[in-house]
Amino acid sequence: MRGDYSSVALLVARAADGDQAAWNEIVERYAPLVWSICIRYRLSSHDIEDVSQSVWLLLVEHLGNLREPAALPGWLATTTQHECQRVLRAARRYDRFGPVPDELPPPLADDTVIEQEIITAERNAALRAAFGELAPRCRELLSMLITDPPLSYAKISATLQIPVGSIGPQRARCLERLRNSRSLSAFIDGETMPAHVRASGGETGA
Amino acid sequence: MRDGWDDDQLLAALGEAMKARETLPAQFIEAAKNAYAWHNIDAELAQLTYDSSRDESWSAAVRSETASIRALTFTSAHFAIELEVTEDFLLGQIMPPREGTIEAQTRAGATTATPVDEIGFFSMEPIPASPFRLHYRTAEGTDLVTGWITL
Repeated sequence: MRGDYSSVALLVARAADGDQAAWNEIVERYAPLVWSICIRYRLSSHDIEDVSQSVWLLLVEHLGNLREPAALPGWLATTTQHECQRVLRAARRYDRFGPVPDELPPPLADDTVIEQEIITAERNAALRAAFGELAPRCRELLSMLITDPPLSYAKISATLQIPVGSIGPQRARCLERLRNSRSLSAFIDGETMPAHVRASGGETGA
Repeated sequence: MRDGWDDDQLLAALGEAMKARETLPAQFIEAAKNAYAWHNIDAELAQLTYDSSRDESWSAAVRSETASIRALTFTSAHFAIELEVTEDFLLGQIMPPREGTIEAQTRAGATTATPVDEIGFFSMEPIPASPFRLHYRTAEGTDLVTGWITL
């Protein structure tokens, strides 16, 4: 399936076994997913902290008995949604101007949106892991190429002390290594680019 | 699509991936990693179910009349812990009441233990450094932990 990258089940097993490094890796991979869902629910930073701590504590509790460890991202997404709804419900109950309903507030994000967040989070984690596999030289160059706003080739040339003319070929080489990295090659296989990345800069201006 | 992403797409995707991680506050990641300290602690989690700082009617009506600065309630399947923060003390009531020990734990790992009396009351002084969480245990095997408390 996803080669090394599918080892989320292994990370879960190691974390359940007492390995803090495996736990940290799970957090590094999936904290952005928890974050992005909280943002979808438009929570305050105080509430995001509340949701996040509950989600990770619940995961700590359930490490040993997740029904399908490989489906951890889905579990995290669902749990985060429940916690967001809990926080919103608690806020409503004490809003004297509003209704005091006991039912769940309607989910602000539908399933397809959450599904997309999961796919994005998995892809991003694979890309970051792939980047980590690169040699320092490539990491430096690619970091400079993705800064926002972009650096000019002249600036990159001066900083890295390489001729302007070699930036293009080196960029191509580094990206090839990224593409062929263990973390990413399996992931790209069969995946298609999401529309918003494919269209980057194009559609929005129209 | 069989060939995967071209260079520009790949670079754009990498940029997005790095940004998604870099925009997260360091504290958000740190707290998530620290949650692992609770691994293998067989405690029931009590979640925040009331916070006076989110309750407009509370602050208007109560704050002016009493020394209480903040009221919080944590609830689990079997217990509720009501907290009242005054200027000098952290006062608490556990329901149903049971004698035991309650311990405040800060993120730095410092702990302060205080007895809970037979009517479920406890008092802590000084107030633990924020953020902290409370861990309640009884001789009968009750083991309860609250979410992080930020005052």
